[in-house]
Amino acid sequence: MRNVTLIALSLLIGIVLALTTAWSQDDMTVVDNAAFDNPQRTPSVFVHDEHNEMAEIDDCAKCHHLYEDGKLVEDESSEDQSCSECHDLEGSGDQPSLVKAFHTNCKGCHQEQKKGPIMCGECHIK
Amino acid sequence: MHSFYNFVSGPLAWIAFILFFGGSTYRIVRMLMLVNEKEKFIFTYMSWRYSLRSIFHWIIPFATVNWRRQPVLTVVTFAFHICLMATPIFLLSHVVLWDEAFSISWWTLPDAMADVMTVIVILGAVYFLVRRLTLPEVKFVTSGSDFVILAIVAAPFVTGFFAYHQWLSYPLIMCLHVLAGDIMLAAIPFTRLSHMLFSPFTRAYMGSEFGKVRHARDW
Repeated sequence: MRNVTLIALSLLIGIVLALTTAWSQDDMTVVDNAAFDNPQRTPSVFVHDEHNEMAEIDDCAKCHHLYEDGKLVEDESSEDQSCSECHDLEGSGDQPSLVKAFHTNCKGCHQEQKKGPIMCGECHIK
Repeated sequence: MHSFYNFVSGPLAWIAFILFFGGSTYRIVRMLMLVNEKEKFIFTYMSWRYSLRSIFHWIIPFATVNWRRQPVLTVVTFAFHICLMATPIFLLSHVVLWDEAFSISWWTLPDAMADVMTVIVILGAVYFLVRRLTLPEVKFVTSGSDFVILAIVAAPFVTGFFAYHQWLSYPLIMCLHVLAGDIMLAAIPFTRLSHMLFSPFTRAYMGSEFGKVRHARDW
């Protein structure tokens, strides 16, 4: 009986852990700002799925782009990587810093579409 | 709010900067031409040494008799003017915008420090307001426009303070903040705010006259 309980319990914990990880992926509500040592603002509000549904974005590469030798690689996306893997804190040459990459990726599109937040505090909500 | 924000931070900001730099150049050139026309002899005793000596004393708190006579005013005016200049130039969110627009950037203040400096500017403005209203010798030389320019200077900081803390309607406050900044920049050359441009010249002139003509100190 004790063994059954133990197996059931570990199974339950395993399932809960797996589910919460999956849920937290789905329920992304802010942009991950772990790469910043001393962030001055709150992480940017961003509900991934809701945003893309509203904005009717199906193509991951729309945001998760891939550049090679300074050129955009068409039909390739980079959602399996962190933004910070390419965009470091300083930026160099044509490669924008992480802050600038986030800002131009989000705000740039919002400006083009004339929709969505463009002022600091509309994303970095206190 | 998209189009209003883009208007005040786009075309209107361009106009404000053009008026600021163009107007400042015009005012200084015009002033020098006027001196050349009417009081050319001033140039005979203008001196780098006495000019810089005077400027040097007056930009240091308590380094002149008048600064020492008015200790509170001295502390307030230095704190006010330093924060007034440094906060907008070194504010992180401003530098982010410069970077996005022109790919230029420089050192920035921590937001918490800029917040305190903004409060110093606002309190300084309140101090100057009360001073103009209550001190007889200041009241005597005060006109309506002095209150207007005080408001023009305080407005970007009050709205900036509210915008940073996201009090009231954020997008509206943000747009008003940019608008207030545009107005202040454009007003500098054409109002008494032009003391920003002329004070080094006034000081240089006083220093030179006291040093070279009267053989006296002017601090």
